[in-house]
Amino acid sequence: MLSKFSISARANIISISLSLLATFLITVILILLIGKNPLPVFGTMFSEVFFSGYGIGQTLFKATPLIICGCGLAFCFHAAIFNIGAEGQLNAGAFTMALIALKLDWLPWYLTIIVCIIVSFGVSAFFGLIPAIIKIKKSVSEVITTIMMNFIIMALINYFLVDFFAAKSSMHTEKISDNLMLMKFSSMFSFFQGSSLNICFLIALALAFISYIIIYKTKFGYEIRAVGFNPSASKYIGTSSDRIIILTFIIGAGITSLTGLNFVMGYKGFYEYGFSNNVGFTAIAVALLARNNPIGIIFSSILFGVLDFGGLAVNDMVPKEIVLVVQGVIILTILSINTIVDKKYNLKR
Amino acid sequence: MTPYYLGASAANFSERGGVINIAIEGFMTLSAFSFAMFSIITNNTTLSIFLAIIINLAFALLYSLFTVKLKINQIVTGVGFNILIAGLTKFLMMIIFHSSSNTDRFEGIQDNAFIGQIPVIGAILSDYIVLFAIILIFISSFVLFKTTFGLRLRSVGENPEAAESLGIKVRHYKVYGILISGFLASLAGIWLASEQKSFSDGMIAGRGYIALAAMIIGKWKPVNIFFASLIFAFFEALQISIQISGTPIPSQIIQMLPYLITILVLIGLIGKTKPPAADGVPY
Repeated sequence: MLSKFSISARANIISISLSLLATFLITVILILLIGKNPLPVFGTMFSEVFFSGYGIGQTLFKATPLIICGCGLAFCFHAAIFNIGAEGQLNAGAFTMALIALKLDWLPWYLTIIVCIIVSFGVSAFFGLIPAIIKIKKSVSEVITTIMMNFIIMALINYFLVDFFAAKSSMHTEKISDNLMLMKFSSMFSFFQGSSLNICFLIALALAFISYIIIYKTKFGYEIRAVGFNPSASKYIGTSSDRIIILTFIIGAGITSLTGLNFVMGYKGFYEYGFSNNVGFTAIAVALLARNNPIGIIFSSILFGVLDFGGLAVNDMVPKEIVLVVQGVIILTILSINTIVDKKYNLKR
Repeated sequence: MTPYYLGASAANFSERGGVINIAIEGFMTLSAFSFAMFSIITNNTTLSIFLAIIINLAFALLYSLFTVKLKINQIVTGVGFNILIAGLTKFLMMIIFHSSSNTDRFEGIQDNAFIGQIPVIGAILSDYIVLFAIILIFISSFVLFKTTFGLRLRSVGENPEAAESLGIKVRHYKVYGILISGFLASLAGIWLASEQKSFSDGMIAGRGYIALAAMIIGKWKPVNIFFASLIFAFFEALQISIQISGTPIPSQIIQMLPYLITILVLIGLIGKTKPPAADGVPY
């Protein structure tokens, strides 16, 4: 058992480093193809990201929603549930969060925030519950239903926002009251001057640790992984796969709502249509890269944060859109290299 | 109707061979962009169509490498392709046209003047791709249900083990299905770019996913898919006219109807559907 585990750990390390190396090479080729010198590009990116407090802050700020969303997805993916609906689920949660913060600002601030978190968790979880129930009752794959739900949710939000809650001639809500805003790192340490990093980052880290413990150290986590490994065999250890599907969807989708905390209460102070900028999809890549390990997700999120902010930093040398290409390449190289390495080590996941 | 039907037929050929293809959205984006790009650069419509199709076939082949050869999860591969292509088109747009949102304008495909003279239907059928989409109803029914190729493709999607035991090269047929899928999706993209006479970021706007929905509602059958595509085209037109006329029905509600209907169909409220038995299972 132990040796099997160490083989799989070795395979993990090998495949992750190979994926990153392949992605790096492809990026270098891409930069060469457009007739630029990769060295100064990487040099500027490196110094901007790692040698300024602002750069570090922005990178971690951009990693925060990915950590949160990636952890949510990790629960689903461990149970072999392909939740493609995080984008819709997190928007529903964030929108709810902004609305409640606006309506309940007469409560003490900490109560408002708690209510916001609980209710938006519930709303996101509700939208996750629909595909879960359809999967169980009608055995319809969650893939199609979650994709369709994304569009339905975004249309609903668009309707409510435009017709009822938007600030004048904008696609965002009114600004919530200042005492509900989460504390920024820049107000505590002058090192992070000007960056949007806020204490939601710490919440994300805590969430990752808690998720790690639940998934790998508790009976519930064991059940999740058992269902993911083999749903029909899992009933021999007394686990109902239906129950696990429902619970992972509730937990997974619910967690994604916390993404709103970073944007609504940590950054802008309002919900803006399309604020998430495909975080729900990028988080799939983040979770994949970390092989659904929440601690690994912290690092893969930071890597994506580096790309995201680094792309902005080198925008005058290469268009920042290159980052999107690199993200796509990362997903595809990880997928293929994972498969090849697993085959080599005779691992079936 | 045209982009939905071409996209849905594209997805259908892939799924008949047992490969779920949610990269249709990306394929449509890619060909719309490459058609626009080559049109502007070469100023030669025929050549641009040809090149756009070739590029799409290359990506379809790459998709089959991931899903058929390496047997990687088809959904995740599809998501990866969609993200990669969205990034790639934005990046190339920035490099070539110095704008991440839209390209320059170009001529587009000229209508057939001869057919255009026919009263009533001439205006619709003079567009080559629309014409092809309509003929495709018959072609795809015929190919899928009357030819050896179609029979084999379907058997690969229904029961690959049995197909293999009959000596059918299962993986080859899956690749053929994906390639046809790539070809049809590229026509859908080319048509959209040609109509708009430019390519703009996000112009496919979920039509690839609606195409998937049309395929599901059409129960994987060419004729039914055609009518499902018509319904969705009707919703699209309705939504636009509602937006213009300012009636009290919110256009967002109309916008979400295709997706809502798909879910209702899937849970069996509007007739039963059954995908190919081995759909999505790597072999």
